[in-house]
Amino acid sequence: MMVLNEKQSDALAELINIAFARTAASLSTMSGYRVLLDPPNVETYAIEDLPAAVGARIKEEVATVHQIFSGPVAGDALLILNYEGAVTLTDLLRLNQTHSLGLDDSGREALTEIGNILLNACLGMFGNMLHVHVSFSMPRLHLESLEDLLRSLTIGSEELRYAIVAATAFHIKESAVSGYLVMVLGISSLDRLMHAIEDWEEGQIK
Amino acid sequence: MAKILIVDDSAMSRRILRGILESGGHHVSEAEDGMVALEKFFLDKPDLVLLDLIMKGMFGMDVLKKIRLMDDKARIIVATADIQSSTMAMTKSEGASGFVTKPFTSEEILSAVQTVLEGRNDGPQ
Repeated sequence: MMVLNEKQSDALAELINIAFARTAASLSTMSGYRVLLDPPNVETYAIEDLPAAVGARIKEEVATVHQIFSGPVAGDALLILNYEGAVTLTDLLRLNQTHSLGLDDSGREALTEIGNILLNACLGMFGNMLHVHVSFSMPRLHLESLEDLLRSLTIGSEELRYAIVAATAFHIKESAVSGYLVMVLGISSLDRLMHAIEDWEEGQIK
Repeated sequence: MAKILIVDDSAMSRRILRGILESGGHHVSEAEDGMVALEKFFLDKPDLVLLDLIMKGMFGMDVLKKIRLMDDKARIIVATADIQSSTMAMTKSEGASGFVTKPFTSEEILSAVQTVLEGRNDGPQ
């Protein structure tokens, strides 16, 4: 379900594009490799439609880093990576010369920190540009069913909530890591975010 | 004042750049993707191109190469969110005259445009 008009969607997509590019730069700095980024595809859904919408896109096994953010714009942020890509990324950033078969304890710890850095790079960029300060909870890594995690986000709030889903792929050292950023926001936070984006656009031309 | 072609798949970025450039007295045309950009470059022969890199369809780096093939003196400023130094080096080696990172200020854009138009940059002319 589309809740934003065309102009708002385009503006949001461009800001996410900027934030993802900064995220790619963070990945490049951490790995020492050049990172290419596909243009993000951004869609907005009512929270009750999120599990079906994301489930239709992501069929493979995933690793998800989840953080709650609070402040004038508050909600849940998820970084969803394809599992193979997450293992590759963790290997690259731990300077492993061989490809691991899966994520051991040390790999999980590393991936949680990578997710933390990437989510902060992405949402922090948003905050800086829009002059909105957000605070982050501790990141949590989820390797179990994505559907269960997404369904857990759909309950526990009386406010109407929406999910912004941005999909992209990071290409790093001949490996493609599919990444999805999901931000779940209440209607008031989404409204504040869109006003902040409008103010930012007006401020850019002055 | 110069004829400037903005190439960006984001309508918001095109609006912002148009506002900045027109406030500086420039004439602006727009292309929302690489194919339209090549067509407009060929037909309009702009003095300068402001080019995004991360675009749907044809990537900006390919647009840069194709424009430089059409005109090896084309003046192109890359305006991108990609802040990797390797990207800046690659665009420069492909003939870009300037590099501005998003989010930019109006001063950064107008200064980069003026620098390139006056031939004060160290890129190809």
